[in-house]
Amino acid sequence: MSGNKKEPRIIWEKLGDLDYRWLYGLSIILMVIPIIQPIGLPTQVGEATKGFYNAIVNLPPGSVVCVLFSGSAGYADEQEAGFVATWKVLFEHNLKVIFVSTAVDSEIILNNELGKMVNPESYGKKYGIDYVRLGYAPLDEVGQASFAQNIRGIFAKDVYGTPLDEIPLMKDINNYQKIDLLYFQYLSCTDIEWVIRQWVVPYGTKAIVSCTTACGPMAAPYYPKQIQGFIAGSGQGTELEILSKNPGRGAVLSDSKNFGILGLLLFIVFGNISYFGKKFGKRGE
Amino acid sequence: MSFFRYQLPTIIVTTCGIIMLLAFFTPFDIFTTIKANLTQWMVVIASTSIWLGFLYMCNAQYHMLKRNPTRSQKILFVTPFAFFLLFFIVGISFPKDTNSPQYLWLFNNIYSQVSMTITGVMFFTLSSAAYRTFRASSIDSLALILGGLIYTLRLIPMFPYFIPWLVPVGEWLLLVPNVGGGRGAVIAAALAAMAVGLRTLWGREVVLKEG
Repeated sequence: MSGNKKEPRIIWEKLGDLDYRWLYGLSIILMVIPIIQPIGLPTQVGEATKGFYNAIVNLPPGSVVCVLFSGSAGYADEQEAGFVATWKVLFEHNLKVIFVSTAVDSEIILNNELGKMVNPESYGKKYGIDYVRLGYAPLDEVGQASFAQNIRGIFAKDVYGTPLDEIPLMKDINNYQKIDLLYFQYLSCTDIEWVIRQWVVPYGTKAIVSCTTACGPMAAPYYPKQIQGFIAGSGQGTELEILSKNPGRGAVLSDSKNFGILGLLLFIVFGNISYFGKKFGKRGE
Repeated sequence: MSFFRYQLPTIIVTTCGIIMLLAFFTPFDIFTTIKANLTQWMVVIASTSIWLGFLYMCNAQYHMLKRNPTRSQKILFVTPFAFFLLFFIVGISFPKDTNSPQYLWLFNNIYSQVSMTITGVMFFTLSSAAYRTFRASSIDSLALILGGLIYTLRLIPMFPYFIPWLVPVGEWLLLVPNVGGGRGAVIAAALAAMAVGLRTLWGREVVLKEG
């Protein structure tokens, strides 16, 4: 009521009703700190990251790894550390790698980063013999089911227009049977089920996945039986960088993001102090 | 007309669905082969639907402009088409198409930046929503807050450095209670998906009927 006098607000009410701009400002300041001055504290490697790494390094030499890559420009901060470190681990070992882009941005990100941030040639790998890029196809669940059964049905040629039959690496590979490990990198949390339903359950394909931090808890129920390991967000991407001794940008990215979240956590604490303050304050009246 | 609108899609969906089930649950190669051919169509349909989406966007934008023919709406109408044309023309005009330096410049300096900004804005929106709603008003919400807090703090290197027990506790939360809850949710979703799947196969699903 406009005519009513405004009652003075008690501290609990003020604490629970702070202007969001304080939260935004605090988060931005906290995010900038690790960028200006990297924290550099030791990171402890979790079980899922160890499983992820071991699934790659324990493969016999010459094994074929299929990378279903759905990198997104908007989530580079979350994904980049993980997928760059994984590519490095793949190329460091004597493995054959098939790259497939499954999202619209992925192929351009692959172009940008494969060759610049991770150069297969610097690991002594040759295109067509040690690795191949098949290009982009919208491989959602049904697309993956088709890809697992008949690769040439979707990709008759590689990204450079060479027929797959003329590529030494692809000569004998046309379905799940010759794929020893699947590395699925995805964005939407429930996409993990595509791999479980279309690769792991019907064919028993070994799989590892990487996703955003928020999707980690949804990948966990499938570890370690259905998937051998997972990397959720830049935090675990940093763990992989450390475990594989391939330092990258993960530490700065994850520190910055995590520090930004500190502001949020502080405000959640304020919100709860306010909630309990109001609750017990009323009881005391 | 209703045959083409309702019965025919139902017949197609039911036939395809039964073939998929037979391919999974029977040992006959014929069903596996048909499944492989049918699923290839999905990739074609998905590629075509990009243009369908574009047509829908045109239609929606046009109707919004008709409803609200203000100056700001006109700008909102023109902007997506201008950027679409810019990316499309640059994408097909230079050698190497979307790998051309010109297209990559657009991608790195416009698309990526806009995309990251949207993600960033989402973080702030979620933050303010979490501040409003994350109140420990019951045992369930208290468990959610504590679990989320420990899991998040475990991911920030500073906290495990000073509080080492955060790592085993965070791992335990992720791999034990979370797994139990997650599996429960997956089983519930699977049962619901089965119910929807069976209704779809029988042509009883409301979405199929009402479009």
